[in-house]
Amino acid sequence: MGSTLNVPLHVKYIQSLGENKDDLIYHMTAHLRMNAVYWGLTALCVMKDKDALNREEMIDFVMSCWDEKTGGFSPHPDHDAHLHPTLSAIQILIMQDALDRVDIPRVVKFILSLQQESGVFAGDEWGEIDTRFLYCAVNALSLLGHLHELDVEKTVGYIRRCRNFDGGFGNREGAESHAAQVFVCVAALAILDRLDEVDQDTLAWWLAERQLPSGGLNGRPEKLEDVCYSFWVLSAMSILNKIPWINADKLTAFILSAQDPDHGGIADRPGDQPDVFHTLFGVAGLSLLGYPGLDDLDPVYCMPASLIESKGLRKGWTALPRKASV
Amino acid sequence: MHGVKRVRYSREALAAHKERERAKLKEFQGLTAEVLSRKKGNDFDKESFELTTRLLHVNPEFYTVWNYRRRILLNGIFPTSTPVQINDVLSDDLSLTTTLLKQHPKVYWIWNHRQWCLRQVPDGPTDADPNGWRQSYWNKELFVVEKMLEVDPRNFHAWTYRRIVLENMPVKRPELSELAYTKRKIEANFSNFSAWHQRSKVLSSLWESGKRDKFKSIEEELDLVKNAMYTDPGDQSVWLYHRWLISLGDSKSVVDREIQSIEELLEEQPDSKWCMESLVFYKRLLLRSYGESLADEDRRKLASDCEELLVNLQRVDPDRKQRYMDLSQHKL
Ligand SMILES: [Zn+2]
Repeated sequence: MGSTLNVPLHVKYIQSLGENKDDLIYHMTAHLRMNAVYWGLTALCVMKDKDALNREEMIDFVMSCWDEKTGGFSPHPDHDAHLHPTLSAIQILIMQDALDRVDIPRVVKFILSLQQESGVFAGDEWGEIDTRFLYCAVNALSLLGHLHELDVEKTVGYIRRCRNFDGGFGNREGAESHAAQVFVCVAALAILDRLDEVDQDTLAWWLAERQLPSGGLNGRPEKLEDVCYSFWVLSAMSILNKIPWINADKLTAFILSAQDPDHGGIADRPGDQPDVFHTLFGVAGLSLLGYPGLDDLDPVYCMPASLIESKGLRKGWTALPRKASV
Repeated sequence: MHGVKRVRYSREALAAHKERERAKLKEFQGLTAEVLSRKKGNDFDKESFELTTRLLHVNPEFYTVWNYRRRILLNGIFPTSTPVQINDVLSDDLSLTTTLLKQHPKVYWIWNHRQWCLRQVPDGPTDADPNGWRQSYWNKELFVVEKMLEVDPRNFHAWTYRRIVLENMPVKRPELSELAYTKRKIEANFSNFSAWHQRSKVLSSLWESGKRDKFKSIEEELDLVKNAMYTDPGDQSVWLYHRWLISLGDSKSVVDREIQSIEELLEEQPDSKWCMESLVFYKRLLLRSYGESLADEDRRKLASDCEELLVNLQRVDPDRKQRYMDLSQHKL
């Protein structure tokens, strides 16, 4: 499986994703296309090979997904707009320095229209609510420079009501803590400069206990390890400045063992089929763990750290220092 | 993608696999093009409705098609239907989602559609009983969700949905039955953290409404947890729950008693990390909250116990060594 990260092979894997147009799975996942482009591009940025995908084609694709009626982005032309692909679209355009293509006030209006009385956000007009969507809104508004239009108290109030006795957060009021929801709530609070809402000792303990003997991290007590939690758990830990509370070497080895040595890409766990989602969250985890040769990733926005810093948006997180060699 | 094994195909197998996929792909693409073009044309007829059924069977994650289906119902089908007919259509759609959830229990979009259908149920069956249909649906929902939790007692979606069902039933179920339900789940498996979590929510609500005495139920809960600790001391769930219970009270004697009982367990299980972790936490809690009332000698003893436990923890749980070192550094 390899004890080092096979960067050239993963770059090739990401490039190949757009070429599998006779694959059923490619078409069946069209509803995630915008997210997938964001996952691929961000993984390439972390691996310092951003230009491996064609910039113009990418920007054209993103703009072809803008829905003039709602002001949001859809994941694929002719699909309906939704908050999640809208965040991905904005992240892509910022990484490609093409935000000037966007009608920012209309996108902002779309995002703000989805906030509910309770403070949480719906994903679209059909009303599914989730702290994931709250994070999408906060992140996107911040990137667009329109956070001042958000009712911060109302938003923070909702996150507070999602906090559980274990220090974690659920996907809505009353729901059990889950690492992915912990990430979205903690990162949203970081963007809003409201980390005082977090019971940091209890939460950091809960997060540290997510590491299993295999080195991998799980998302809830007594569940299996999975590479994507390398990001959900680790990003929250880095925001709380607690990455040293787990065994970084073992987690690094676990992520590396989930690489597909033949075709590239990283899977949820060793021996499984890779996908672009786990490829991003695998390399994102490795970046936070100080793996040599990678670029710094900002765990709050899940975008290149230098870019976030240049926009003046960097928060007080810490990753492990970048190693010089394996 | 989760839990899909990587398979290495031979060249021939790969070609055969591609061939099989090609037919499926052609069907899926044809159907997608047809449905999306009807959607663009705001076509809300019965035929379009049937096409969305076919497409959603092939790909229940295609959320745009669920949206279109709801638009057809709202704009094409409901306006020309009687309440009885609307009720029948919704009942069919609920069956559709039941079928799909059996194959795809973790697809959010199916759960969403199910909830939407339930919100659309009209008043009926009679003017005298306007909540009759709704109540019988929600009762059935509770049954469905219990079935799902029997198959997978940790299914995140099912638990979330369970809370939605309990909130939406026109005639609410007494919270005490929910409390009993979580107890059954916990006793079936002490590691079911989802059930412990749900229990924490139900109890909080019962305390708030005054239906349960907080002090008395904390004592009962501590009994339940003790039982769990002795059955499976290696499981984090019970310890998390225990810590929560202790944090709610303000009683030195309870903390003293719990420390003593954990120390007894530690004697039986000398390397139990959870026992040690919890002892450090509660001993520090004593120092922090009741330090001034303690004799110097007792204070010193508690502090040195913690030091010793933290050294042992570094040994039994080396992956989290730094945390124990940090705790040691941070004197109270
Ligand atoms: Zn995963």
